[in-house]
Amino acid sequence: MQSSRVLQIVLTTAAGLALALSLVSPCWAETDGGGEDEAALRADAEKTFKEKVGPFVNKYCVRCHNTRPEGGINLQSALRSPGATSSFLHWKKAVANVKVHDMPPEHTDKIPTDDERHQFIEWIGKLKYMAPRDPGSFVIRRLSKVEYGNTLHDLYGVDPSITDGLPEEVIGEGYLNSISPLQSELFLDIANKVIDQVVSPEGKAPTEVQKRLFGETPSDNADFRKAARQVSRSLARDAYRRPPTDAELDVLVGIFDLGRENRLSYTASLGLMWKAILVSPQSLFITPAAEVDSKDSVVPLDDYQLASRLSYLLWSAPPDAELSALADKGELQKPEVLRAQAARLLMHDRSRALFDGFGAQWLGVGGLESQTFDPDVFPQMTPALRTAMMEEARLFFQSIVRENQNVFRFVDSDYTFLNEPLARLYGLEQSVQGPTMRRVKLENPNRGGILGMPATLATTSFPNRTSPVRRGVWVLEQILGERIPPPPPDIPELEEQDQKSAEGLTLRQRTELHQSDPTCANCHKVFDPIGFGLENFDAIGRWREKDDVGVAIDSAGKLPNGEAFATPAELKSILAERKADMARNLTERLMAYAIGRQLEGYDEIVIDQLMVKIANDSFRMRTMITEVITSYLFTHRKVRG
Amino acid sequence: MNNQPLVDRRTMLKGAGVSLALPFMDSLTWAAGGNSTKPPVRLGFMYMPHGVIMDEFWPKTPESYLESPPSAIESLRPILDQCLMMKGISGVPTTPFSGAPHALELSTWLTATLPDADTRSRINIAISADQIMANYVGAHTLLPSLELATMPQTWKENQAGLHEAYYSHCSYRSPTQPVPAEIDPRNVLNRLFGKKDKAGRVTKANPLDRQMLDRVLGGARDLRRMLARTDQQKLDEYLDSVRTVERRIAAIESRQKEAALEKAGVRSTRRDSNDSPPIEVKIPEGDKRSEYMQVMCDLTVLAFQTDTTRVSTYIGSTPNGESYPELGFSDRHHSQTHHQNRKEMVRKVAAITKFNIDQFAYMVNKMASLREGDGTLLDNCIMMWGSGLEDGNKHSRENLPFIIAGKGGGSISTGRFLPDTKGNQGDLLTTLLSCAGVPLDRPIGIATKQITEIKA
Repeated sequence: MQSSRVLQIVLTTAAGLALALSLVSPCWAETDGGGEDEAALRADAEKTFKEKVGPFVNKYCVRCHNTRPEGGINLQSALRSPGATSSFLHWKKAVANVKVHDMPPEHTDKIPTDDERHQFIEWIGKLKYMAPRDPGSFVIRRLSKVEYGNTLHDLYGVDPSITDGLPEEVIGEGYLNSISPLQSELFLDIANKVIDQVVSPEGKAPTEVQKRLFGETPSDNADFRKAARQVSRSLARDAYRRPPTDAELDVLVGIFDLGRENRLSYTASLGLMWKAILVSPQSLFITPAAEVDSKDSVVPLDDYQLASRLSYLLWSAPPDAELSALADKGELQKPEVLRAQAARLLMHDRSRALFDGFGAQWLGVGGLESQTFDPDVFPQMTPALRTAMMEEARLFFQSIVRENQNVFRFVDSDYTFLNEPLARLYGLEQSVQGPTMRRVKLENPNRGGILGMPATLATTSFPNRTSPVRRGVWVLEQILGERIPPPPPDIPELEEQDQKSAEGLTLRQRTELHQSDPTCANCHKVFDPIGFGLENFDAIGRWREKDDVGVAIDSAGKLPNGEAFATPAELKSILAERKADMARNLTERLMAYAIGRQLEGYDEIVIDQLMVKIANDSFRMRTMITEVITSYLFTHRKVRG
Repeated sequence: MNNQPLVDRRTMLKGAGVSLALPFMDSLTWAAGGNSTKPPVRLGFMYMPHGVIMDEFWPKTPESYLESPPSAIESLRPILDQCLMMKGISGVPTTPFSGAPHALELSTWLTATLPDADTRSRINIAISADQIMANYVGAHTLLPSLELATMPQTWKENQAGLHEAYYSHCSYRSPTQPVPAEIDPRNVLNRLFGKKDKAGRVTKANPLDRQMLDRVLGGARDLRRMLARTDQQKLDEYLDSVRTVERRIAAIESRQKEAALEKAGVRSTRRDSNDSPPIEVKIPEGDKRSEYMQVMCDLTVLAFQTDTTRVSTYIGSTPNGESYPELGFSDRHHSQTHHQNRKEMVRKVAAITKFNIDQFAYMVNKMASLREGDGTLLDNCIMMWGSGLEDGNKHSRENLPFIIAGKGGGSISTGRFLPDTKGNQGDLLTTLLSCAGVPLDRPIGIATKQITEIKA
C-alpha cells in the first residue's frame, strides 16, 4: 500500500477520455464489422506509442520504473509490449499519477510541462486499440450455488434451499469458476436429496413430478431399455439445457443398465440414471452443444449457450420453454430475437434475480441484513425494517429497469417504495400504513434516488454514526465509477485519532482534520464534501437538522470541479448531470458481472461502442442492459490462442 | 464491507448442544497404507491474518523461551517442550504487488509463490503445501484433506488488480483451482463420519454410486474431446474432484467391510490398545467465537485421531478486518493493526493475537493429551500456526510469526526457540513436508533449501 500513498484520483477518468475519443471516431456496425477501422486505429496507436509515448517514458519514467520497478510499475517492459494485457495496469497507473502531478516526483530534474502531461494522457487513451480483438474465453462455467438451486427448483419443483450446504460464493466479476472435491461431494448429496424428494418409495404411488419425468412404466420388461432411453433424452434435454448427443444417451442408458444388473427396479434404475444426469458436467456447467469445427479463434456462442447465458444473467435460472424453443430453432443468434428475449425476461418478475445478484452488489447493500448496528443508538433497526430497506432498493432498481428510465433517475427521482415501518424513517407514517410495500410519490426533493435511500445510507455508515468518508467514496466509486486508492496503511480510522486534538469538534470538523494533513488532503478533499452533503441523513437514513451532539448540520460543499451545493437535493441534481459517467460506470460493472471477469484491453473498445448507442437512446437502463447482452463480448467466445 | 459470517452459523448452531456419537468408531484403525507399528505423520495449518505485536510474541532469548515465555504464547506453556519457534523466516517478496499486502498474506502463505502478474485478474498461483501432501497421502484416507474456515470466503476487495479470491483462500489444488473451506461444523462432521438417516443409522456408502460416477467420468472424457483447450482445463478440475469422491466412496466401503469383519471376530484391525478413545465433539449452542473455533479444532483433532485425513488447513480468520466482540471491544482486527504504536490499539492487537493462539493451543494441548502408539497424537503431528505478515502496522514480512507444535513422528526437534533462522517461507514449507515424509520433485515456491535446524 505504500505506493498508493501517492494521489491517484482521476477527476475526469481515463474512461471518460476514451469515450470522447470514440465519439469522434466512426462507430462500428454490429459485432463482426469494423475490421478496417480497427486496423487503422491500431496502426495509429502503434505509431503513437513508438514516436510519442516511447520518448516520453524514456525521458521521464524509466530511470525508476524499469525492471527493478519502483512502486511495482515497470514501464520499460510495458513499452516493449504496450498492448499486452499485463501492461494495461501499468499504463493506467502511470496516467493516473502523471495527471495529478504526482509523478514524476518533484525532486527529479526533468519535469514534463502541463501540455506534455495532457498529451501523454491522450496518447495512453489510444492504448486500447492495440489490444487484439478478443471477447475473452467464455470458459465453460459452473452454475453458482444460487443458480443450481433455482435450476433444481425450476426443473423438479424442489425448494431452492436444497443447495444451502454448498460453500458461499461471490458471483459476477469475482466469481470463482472452479470445482473442488468438497463441492463434488455436496453435488452428489444434493442429487440424492432431490431423488428422495421426487421419487416415491417402491410400492407407493408416484409423485406428480415423478410421473412427468419418468412417464408410465412399460408393462412389458422387454421395453424397459427403450423407454429408459426416451426418459433419458428428455431428462438430459432439460438438465443439460441442450439436446444430448447420442453418445451421451448411450452413457446414460448404460447407467440404467447398471441399475438393472444390480437388481434395481425399473424406477430405481431410472433414479440412478437421473442422479448421473444431475452430477454430470453437462448439468453443472454451461457447456457448448457441439464441437467447434471452425478454424477461427473466436466463434459466436451457440444458441443453447446463449440461451443459458442470458437466462442465468437475468433470472439466475435455466432457460424457460420459450427461450429453449427459440434455441432449438436456431433463432437466438438473430440480434432482434435476442433483444426481444432480453426485454421479455427483464419485464418478468423473475428478473429480480438481477437485483439480488448485480444490483445489490453494485449498490453495496448486500450485507445490510447482517450489518451490525448499535442497538442502544438504533433500537428501531429490526429485521422487518432491514427487509423493508432492501425491498425498497430492489423495487426501485426494478422500476428503473422495467420503465426503461434514464440511468440518472437512480440519483434523481421523485418516488420510492415504502411500507409503514420504512415510512417512519421518511416521516411519512401518516400516509403509508400497513406492512405492504407500495410506490409512493415524494414531495421532498432531498429524498428520491439512491442518495437519499435508507438502505444505501445505512450500509455506508458505522454501527453508531454516519461516515461522510465512506459515503463520499461510495458516491464516487459506485455511482460515478472513479477510482479511489485505499488509504495509506499507517493511518488510523477516525475514532482512533488523537482524542485531544479532536476534542470539542463536530464530526465535520474532525473529518476535516484530514484535509489539514497533506498526506490525506489530496484524496479527502475530493470525497469528504460529498459525504458532508449527505450528513442530514443519519446512519439509518432518517432526516436530521442537528448532529449527534446537537450541532446544526452543515451540508454545504463543493465538488472538485468547483460546483457548489447547499443541500442533498442540490447535490443530487449536480450528480444527475453526469449521465455519461454514471452510464459508463454502470455499463462496465454490468458487463464485468455478465461475463464474470474484470474488464481489460479490448473490452474498452467494445464499451466505447456500446456507450455511443446507449447515449443515442438517452442512457436508458433497459437499453443499456440489452446492449450488454447483444455485445460482442457477451455473444462470442475465444476458442483458440 | 458486506461481512455476514454469523447469521447462518447462529441459526445452524442453535439447539445443537448435543455430543455426537461417531459411526465407524467402534474401533480405531489405521487407514490403508498405514503401518501398524508406526502411526502416520499428520500435518495441520492454522492461520491468523495481519501479523503480531513482536515484543509480545517472540521469546527474548532461547533460554527464556521455556522459562518465561512471552505473553502471546502463554497458553502453550504446558507443551512448550513439544513446540518450536524460529525467528528469521521471511515471506515472499511482494513486488510487483506492493499495494496488495492483504491479498497476498493468505494466498502466499502455503504456496510461497506470488500470483502470476500477467493473469492477475484470474486465479493463477501454485499448488499449496497442504494439497501437495494431500496428493501424496490423501488416497489412503477417507478424505484427502480437510479445509476449514471461520468466515465465508466471499470478501470482495480488490488490491493491485488481483482476483478477489486471493483475499480469502490459501489452499490450491492446482495453480488455477482454489479449494473452498467448510465453515459449518455439522457439515464437517457429516463429511468425516457420514450422515445419519432419520432412524439415526449412518447412511452407508452406496457402491452403485461409485460405479455410476465412474461412468459419468467416462462420459465427461467424451465431452472433453469436443471442448476448447481452456474448457478442457476446467473440465479436468471436475474430473479430478469427482475422482476424489469416487475414492472416498471406495474408502467408506472398505471401512465398512473391515468393521463387519471385526464385528464377526474374523479379523482385528484394532490399533494399539493403549490408544485413547475418540474424543467427543460437542457442537456449541451459542455463537461465541472461541467455542466455534474450538469445535473446528476438535474436528481436526478427531479427524487426525481417527485417521480420517492426514492433512488439515484451518483459516481461523480471514484478512478482512474481523472484529472480536468476545474480547470486549468492537474494533475490527485490521483497523487496530495500523496502530502506529498507540498503546490502546497495540493492546487490542495483542489481545486478538493471544485469542487466536489460545485456540491453537486448545487444539494442540488436546492432541498432547491423547495417547497414540508409544506416545501422543501430537507426537505424530506437525501443527503449524502462523500469519502471513510480521507486523500489520508496517506490512513487514521479514520475520513471519510461526509456531510449530508436535514432533512429526520424531522428525522435528522441539522445545527450542531459534532466534536467527536463515530461510524463507518456501524453505520452511519444504522442510515441513520433508519431515512429514512427502518426497518433493521440486522445492515449494521460492524455496532454495531446507531449514535443517528444525529437524531432529
